[in-house]
Amino acid sequence: MKTFASLLAAFAVSASPLLAQDDAWETQGLTDDAITIGVMGPFSGNASSYSKALIGMMAYYDKVNAEGGVHGRQLVAVQEDTACDSAKGLAAAKKLISQDEVFMLQGNSCSGVAVALRPTIEEAGLPWIVAHAVSDSISDPLAANIFHGVPTGRANGRAMAQFVLSKPDTTNVAIIEHSNDWAHSYSNPARDYLEEQGVTPSLELTMERGQTDATAQVLKLRQEQPDFIIAALYEAETAIFLRDLKKYGMGDIPVMGTAGTDLENTLKRTGDFDTVKNYYVIHSYVDNLDGPLMQPWGDMIHEYYPEEELSTFSFVSIGSAEALVAALEAVGPELTRSKLMAALEEVRDFDTGILSDPITWTPEDHQGVKGSAVAGFVDGEPTVLKAWGQPY
Amino acid sequence: MLMQLTLGGLSQGMIYALIALSLTVVYRSTTVVNFGHGDFVMAGAFLSYVLVVLAGVAFLPAAVLAMIAMFVLGVLFNRGLIRPVRGGPHIGLALMCIAAGYVLRGIARMVWGREVLPMPAVFDMQPIFLGNLVITGDAVFIIGTVLVLLLILFGLLAMTDLGKMIQAVYQSPRGARLIGLNVDRFNDFSWGIGAALGALGGILVAPVSLLHPDLGASFLIKGFAAMTLGGFGSLGGAVLGGVLLGLAEQYAGAYLDSALIEITAYVVIVAVLFIRPQGLFGRKAVVKV
Repeated sequence: MKTFASLLAAFAVSASPLLAQDDAWETQGLTDDAITIGVMGPFSGNASSYSKALIGMMAYYDKVNAEGGVHGRQLVAVQEDTACDSAKGLAAAKKLISQDEVFMLQGNSCSGVAVALRPTIEEAGLPWIVAHAVSDSISDPLAANIFHGVPTGRANGRAMAQFVLSKPDTTNVAIIEHSNDWAHSYSNPARDYLEEQGVTPSLELTMERGQTDATAQVLKLRQEQPDFIIAALYEAETAIFLRDLKKYGMGDIPVMGTAGTDLENTLKRTGDFDTVKNYYVIHSYVDNLDGPLMQPWGDMIHEYYPEEELSTFSFVSIGSAEALVAALEAVGPELTRSKLMAALEEVRDFDTGILSDPITWTPEDHQGVKGSAVAGFVDGEPTVLKAWGQPY
Repeated sequence: MLMQLTLGGLSQGMIYALIALSLTVVYRSTTVVNFGHGDFVMAGAFLSYVLVVLAGVAFLPAAVLAMIAMFVLGVLFNRGLIRPVRGGPHIGLALMCIAAGYVLRGIARMVWGREVLPMPAVFDMQPIFLGNLVITGDAVFIIGTVLVLLLILFGLLAMTDLGKMIQAVYQSPRGARLIGLNVDRFNDFSWGIGAALGALGGILVAPVSLLHPDLGASFLIKGFAAMTLGGFGSLGGAVLGGVLLGLAEQYAGAYLDSALIEITAYVVIVAVLFIRPQGLFGRKAVVKV
């Protein structure tokens, strides 16, 4: 008995630093008046336009702070540049976790970087809300501390196919895509959804990046005469494809594009409304970018970043920031990392007022946004749609 | 569909022909393969964009001005960067070309970022429908412009004293020097013509495509493939190689698999080097010992 008591005492003594370390870990990056949040993104480099998403998100932090913060704590963003480069992203993540000792992470554009960061952040265990990158493999398989706050490629791909099939009498669907992971992240879920609905794509075509001509693809489509075309193409190739479609007299066939393009820019690039009048794109918001429902968010960004030029990326991360604040509110003043993650898993049908679909995180599924609206031209005006012919 | 593919292939092929020809002009006279040539193509396209969209110049004068500017750039590039390292190892020349190309690309990126820019349509005529065949304004303009240019160029080479002098320098720079021709100036001229012809390729493709700083990379590969197919150093071969490559891409994309369009150029390079390394019109290399 004495031996057992000695062993127990020895264990208690030896375990106490660990327990103390766990307590410290739970509240790392937290003070009475601040919650430090590591915000990683491509603030420089070729993909720096994506960092607008993080500017929008930090503007929301500023708004919350101006209103008194969360339980008296300010949200303090610690920015790190990934330059959309995996090696730099990894260095940034390690710095934020080990040197800056932030409480949590939120942000990350560039799926490639986010996927590369996953093992490091999963091992570190601190909460990470992915607020822009869309690759499913960032948050699937489930990791206890990783939450996806935007529609993933899978959600967008399915939304594309749902919209296509919502057009009455659509049975003949063709797909044209790049042969890279980005395109497959849209086309594969779209293909799966079509198959589930009994529709097998009648034609599957490839158009590679940098191609300046889509004649061969368009001529094959002309032979097939599909009811709808799903196009997982980048912006430049989308414009070239749409131009060639019109050139060969097929401009009346509707084309469903990804979230990687938007209507206004596609119109600008093709320079001709007739070319884009039947083009539809994934649009994750409740309204057009210049619509009344988006106006307050644009004003909010300009209040804190007056020089910021707004783009479609500016708003995409705000929804997950709202969900974070709601979870922080729910936890109360005795905040820990574990409590926050538990609270995030309680978020259900959270209407952000900016994303077209609500956020739901459960213990089994951390991919929070399961759908997306679509934008297309209706009577010449960009319009957000739930389904074919149904305004959002 | 065959006729339509042929027309599309000819239109694309003419652009490739122009780029292969411009590469060959420099290669024939200086034996330098300009690995930065794709960026000269891009620079020509961007110059015409600046003139047309930002300065409001009409397309044709803008194209001429852009070609003149690129001619001057080609001459300066040869005088300032190539000539001083000409006596060194060939790899130095290749690296100089690559570096110059990246500088041009970097400048474009600094100014326009990764933005994809549209060039206003300049061949704005209604397509002509002949049954299933659609003849578009851009195809007519590209094929027509390149054909006229080729006729002038080859006519000049075959029928004028200047052309004969050029051929003399092509055949033997040392011999040309011995009879009093200024070979250095001729090399300047070749670099200028090469840059201007490449730029014209970019200028013609700009209105039917979109502009971005990385535009030239894929054209460089197409130019190399056309050059390989036609035979290194053969001006006529470069043109034929470009046209055949354009047609091959369209036929492979339509009749086999659209994924093949992008790799056709690489397949051509590998196949030609294996089957007929000297290409269609090149001479077999003979080493005298």
